[in-house]
Amino acid sequence: MNDLTPARAVAADAGTPAAKIRLLCAEKTFQVRGQDIEALHPTDLDIRPHEFMALVGPSGCGKSTILNMMAGLMRPTAGEVLYDGQPVTGPNRRVGYMTQKDTLLPWRTTKDNIRIALELKSHATPRAEAEDRVRQMIELVGLKGFENHTPAELSGGMRKRAAMARTLIYEPETLLMDEPFGALDSQLKLLMLDQLQCLTQHRRMSVVFVTHDLGEAITLSDRIVVLSARPGRIRAIHDVKLERPRDVFKVRFTPAFSEQHERLWDELKDDIIKGTDV
Amino acid sequence: MAPPATQSAVVGTGATRLPGAVGSGSGPQSSLERFFATSAGRVGARLLLIALILLAWEYAPVARATRFWMSSPSAILGTLWDWLFDGTIWAHLESTLLVMSEGYVVGCVAGVGIGFLLGFFSRLSRVLAPLLAGFYALPKIALAPLFVILLGVDNSSKIALVAVTVFFLVLTSTIDGVREVDRNTVNALALMGATRTEIIRKVLIWAALPWIFTGMRLAVRYAFTTTLLAELIAANRGLGFLIELNSGNFNTTGAYAAIVVVIICSVLLTELLSRLESRMSHWVS
Repeated sequence: MNDLTPARAVAADAGTPAAKIRLLCAEKTFQVRGQDIEALHPTDLDIRPHEFMALVGPSGCGKSTILNMMAGLMRPTAGEVLYDGQPVTGPNRRVGYMTQKDTLLPWRTTKDNIRIALELKSHATPRAEAEDRVRQMIELVGLKGFENHTPAELSGGMRKRAAMARTLIYEPETLLMDEPFGALDSQLKLLMLDQLQCLTQHRRMSVVFVTHDLGEAITLSDRIVVLSARPGRIRAIHDVKLERPRDVFKVRFTPAFSEQHERLWDELKDDIIKGTDV
Repeated sequence: MAPPATQSAVVGTGATRLPGAVGSGSGPQSSLERFFATSAGRVGARLLLIALILLAWEYAPVARATRFWMSSPSAILGTLWDWLFDGTIWAHLESTLLVMSEGYVVGCVAGVGIGFLLGFFSRLSRVLAPLLAGFYALPKIALAPLFVILLGVDNSSKIALVAVTVFFLVLTSTIDGVREVDRNTVNALALMGATRTEIIRKVLIWAALPWIFTGMRLAVRYAFTTTLLAELIAANRGLGFLIELNSGNFNTTGAYAAIVVVIICSVLLTELLSRLESRMSHWVS
């Protein structure tokens, strides 16, 4: 991949400030039992500063792979991932990453799990202040009364919320979220979406957000990236033209929302139908 | 070498219970059946069985030579009684427990310490892995004569043997524990900005704890067995030595008495361990 493709040339002189995160011809191939499986076709993608971007697409289209590469947990097989114009080579400490499977520590209670980032030297916080922020977070994600439960004693949805609180508490400038609300019932999901929107707008975070739920994507995002089935490639990028701040409880009943939903669905349905019998 | 009377006695207890189980349903037999179903009944039945065996052992009509080999409960009890009051048993028990616990503590500390070291520095452990595997596979009791030559017949040679046995058990479980830690959890902490030391302190050590406890629990029994074996091979004190001494003098009663003490010790040890375990395992799923 030494030849300078046009896409790459454009990206290279576009200047860094325009993009918080940038994929440059990034591709990923996995070796499974000696066979090469192409998870992500060479892909260019820019995440703008303070942007809320959703990735949607059928299962196995490389959504999680993209997040892993942005977090620096996975190197692209070829191509590059830039963060603030710098190549990502190791764990990217500027991002908060909420993985699909939560990584709460089983020996810590909910509040101790949520506090953990504040115990680290990199986010050192006086004890009293840390306690205060933990309390606020617990209230924010609706886990009051479960402060002293261990993860094993929480439901799937509660664990998701605890994981979210743990990621949000240290206010990373960029949030990567992999299906954060999958296990929540729809009422609770709306509440969480509202909180997330509030917090990310207020802190001016950049967010990349993987989801299966088109409604969720439209409600929160500035742009929605539609990926096609394996090997993943970008099929389209939709701008969501809904005013901010959005009322997450009502926005779904507006005509603009329905129209957006329909366009997305048209884009996706073939792949989703194809994806389900994989 | 069970005397015939014992057998018939056991069959006898079975016979009294069987009709009730079949369910003829009348009077004393079914109430006996109900009695045995309660926990007090089970304990009672157990004691009854033991009593029957002891009685059969005591009064079995056997030849004098056979009686010499099998001794008798009353003689064993008498010996235990004497030992209890002339201090014999305490001296030997103390020696055994001392050797076992000192070796155990040394083995555990070294095993956990070096286990963490090898777990954290995986390159080091890859170099050492085949060597460790070789030593791990070696039955440590084979080293006993060597330790006697190196360290003498007294406690230090046995402590060393117990320590080595415990060391390898705890070492391997510690390494496994550190290695089996969920990569995603470590990554999550790294993304939060945790240093290597912080990851070790906040994740690896905790994640390895259940594994370490498992190794340490297993090691208690090994420590006890190894202590006894070492004492049987070469010693001048301890329960193993007591068995060996009495057998050597053809004092079967004394040997049985020492074995009774060993049984009591292992039962107490097992009980202690299972209590500790149930207290520790509240977050270990």
